[in-house]
Amino acid sequence: MGNDKPFDYRQNRRSWVKTSLAALGSTLLPIPASSTPVRRLAWESAEARTESGGGFFTGAQHALVEELAETIIPADAQSGGAKAAKVADYIDDVLNTSVDASEKGLWQEGLRLVDGMTRHQYGRSFMDCSSEERIAVITILSEHADLTDLPEIQFFHELKRLTVRGFYTSKIGIHDELEYKGNKLSLEFTGCEDSAKDRP
Amino acid sequence: MAEPEVNLSRTYDVIVVGSGAAGGMAAHVLTSHGLQVLLLEAGKKLDIEQELRSMEWPYDNRYRGGLPPDSHSLTLNEYTIRNPPYGSGFEKSKHLYSYVGDSDYMKNIVVDERENPITGTNYAWVRARCLGGKTNIWGRLALRLSDYDFKAKSHDGYGEDWPISYSDIAPYYDKVDLYLGVSGVRENLAHVPDSLFQRPIKLNCGEMQLKQGIRKMDRTVTQFRAAVATDGLTHNKYRRRCLARGACNRKNGCDIHAAFDSPTGLIYPALDTGNLTVRTNAVVREVTVDQQSGKVSGVHFIDSLTLKDYTARGRIVVLAASTLESARILLLSKSRLYPNGLANSSGHVGHNFCEHLMGPRIYGQMKELVGKPPTLDDGRPGGFYLTRFRNLSDRHPKFIRGYGFEGNSGCSMFPKGTDVPGFGASFKEEVRKNQGSYIGMGAFGEVLARYENYVDLDPQVRDNWGIPVLRFHYRFGDNEKRMAEDMLETAQEMFEAAGFRILRANGRMFTEGWSIHELGTARMGQDSKSSVLNEFQQSPAVKNLFVVDGSAFVSASCHNPTWTIMALCWRSCDYLADELRKGTL
Repeated sequence: MGNDKPFDYRQNRRSWVKTSLAALGSTLLPIPASSTPVRRLAWESAEARTESGGGFFTGAQHALVEELAETIIPADAQSGGAKAAKVADYIDDVLNTSVDASEKGLWQEGLRLVDGMTRHQYGRSFMDCSSEERIAVITILSEHADLTDLPEIQFFHELKRLTVRGFYTSKIGIHDELEYKGNKLSLEFTGCEDSAKDRP
Repeated sequence: MAEPEVNLSRTYDVIVVGSGAAGGMAAHVLTSHGLQVLLLEAGKKLDIEQELRSMEWPYDNRYRGGLPPDSHSLTLNEYTIRNPPYGSGFEKSKHLYSYVGDSDYMKNIVVDERENPITGTNYAWVRARCLGGKTNIWGRLALRLSDYDFKAKSHDGYGEDWPISYSDIAPYYDKVDLYLGVSGVRENLAHVPDSLFQRPIKLNCGEMQLKQGIRKMDRTVTQFRAAVATDGLTHNKYRRRCLARGACNRKNGCDIHAAFDSPTGLIYPALDTGNLTVRTNAVVREVTVDQQSGKVSGVHFIDSLTLKDYTARGRIVVLAASTLESARILLLSKSRLYPNGLANSSGHVGHNFCEHLMGPRIYGQMKELVGKPPTLDDGRPGGFYLTRFRNLSDRHPKFIRGYGFEGNSGCSMFPKGTDVPGFGASFKEEVRKNQGSYIGMGAFGEVLARYENYVDLDPQVRDNWGIPVLRFHYRFGDNEKRMAEDMLETAQEMFEAAGFRILRANGRMFTEGWSIHELGTARMGQDSKSSVLNEFQQSPAVKNLFVVDGSAFVSASCHNPTWTIMALCWRSCDYLADELRKGTL
């Protein structure tokens, strides 16, 4: 037992003021330096992660995943698609850090199988197919989405799931595509504009 | 790094165990009476700036907000089939969390299930060991109970009445409302009493339509009664008023503390009095008893990091460790005088354990909102609350007590409706067009308090700190099953009445414990042979021992308990301070 002063838990008030001012100034908060010893994983910024590059896909696989993801969520008049949102980088990161060997295996197998389908159908790799041809092949999987005993179909579900997750958590997905109105300062919550609806 | 030590050579007026809603409130009230309080918290002090990242965009987060790949959060199906202690089958995961620990934002707040195992029947026990406990991550719904709850036995013959009525606690609800701030709309319903509200968080268009639709059924949808200071609080410099921003449904706390959390709402103001000492990383393993007088004299605790053992001395001990943890401490505090555990001459400690039934839920769509421009529907902790309508003036033939629904509609940061089939341009357009048109709600129902539902100490299994863990004997019964059937039926009936297209309606009951509203394990009562505490949450046999958390509840009601826990605690602490002054303790 020493004479050390116990933690002053209220020291967070200074950090509160800092956070509050930062929040007023921008929506991107500065990364605070950790002030307490931690028993948790080291935090890496998303930017640093992208710079260091992926690690799971080969170059050719990465290009194929870009095109597959773009087929799932393409660019349109509203916004860019999965390619612009760098979804392939996201999927690469997920698989690279995954502890699930069967998940990694499914992607290796799935990419191979899908490429096999276009070769059978059109005599060309998925990369060499036209947009319509690619859509036709993925449509076969999509229309049989209930046949989940097949690795191709399991792969389709995973491709769609990770593309959706990677796209709708990206800047393009949130701001351009959905035009999300939240996560910014307001005077109060707006609610329903049509108050005439609240008549007995 | 070891925690700088607090002064344990003195005898504090009160030792409070636990720093959540109850512990924080006890610290606030007792220090305001001028008492010297030592607050012990089993968990760590959270680095709040690091942890409560209300405005972080997912793309700025390492895992887009998800859990790191070396961690796993238990799913409903896993709780359904696998048995406690949870851990086997997850060997690939370095960390294992309850179902609530499913994001990067929760992983440092909820406990690791392998360090804190349970045994017995399947139970989704959610715990947050940190300063402020679960108030850092709670749902923020603040509802009052009424005499339909306090006198439920007089109403339908089941169980026991509480030893208090609404008029005893109403002034304390008022105090809590004013001190912490609650937002809502007055509805004048006897069974869901109004609070002293700050400005309400408005309903959006979908929610208005539900409200209109069920009016003719004489049922009420009201604004989510949020423990959020929408008008601010002039007396608390640690909390800002709500600015309707942030990913509030992420449930990892409010970084400007407009939503109530115990540290900024209660503990920091208590520290400002100069009467409070806080010691975190203190896992209390036993309440010490003077074997001559039969009164409590303090607690033994273990430092959670160094495992070193300490003793703290207090004239009074107030347990506020949460319903199950307080019962556990009482059972652990065996001595020659109290061989069955402390304050357990009735044999009811650990028994009458109840909570809320969850599971039945519904998800629908409003075609009028398809294709409309996106709206701001976030920036609030919840949308609407659909109040109880069963067994108030009528008697349902198949079950007693009642249930309500919590729900919301509108746009969200991650869009709803990505589970529609298909892909490509039409899928993308479909998701965009429909994103604001969905509405959903889930039920919360009262689970009956039964003596046969209880926890006791496992004779063999211990946690990371060598302390015997809780063994669960807790199952839903027939009343819950029949209530679940009715929940599904009325949910569909009401969505149809509102003109929604029902997309999914599910009656599956979630695993016991899913509500995170454990109650009843040291219930109040007038008869000390069948209760543990009196109406002031004091042990009648051990007068300087109080238990001020949800363990004191006599019945679960269907209303979220936090506001009532705090009002009851305030009342009991006023009584404690008074009795201490008079010298009766």
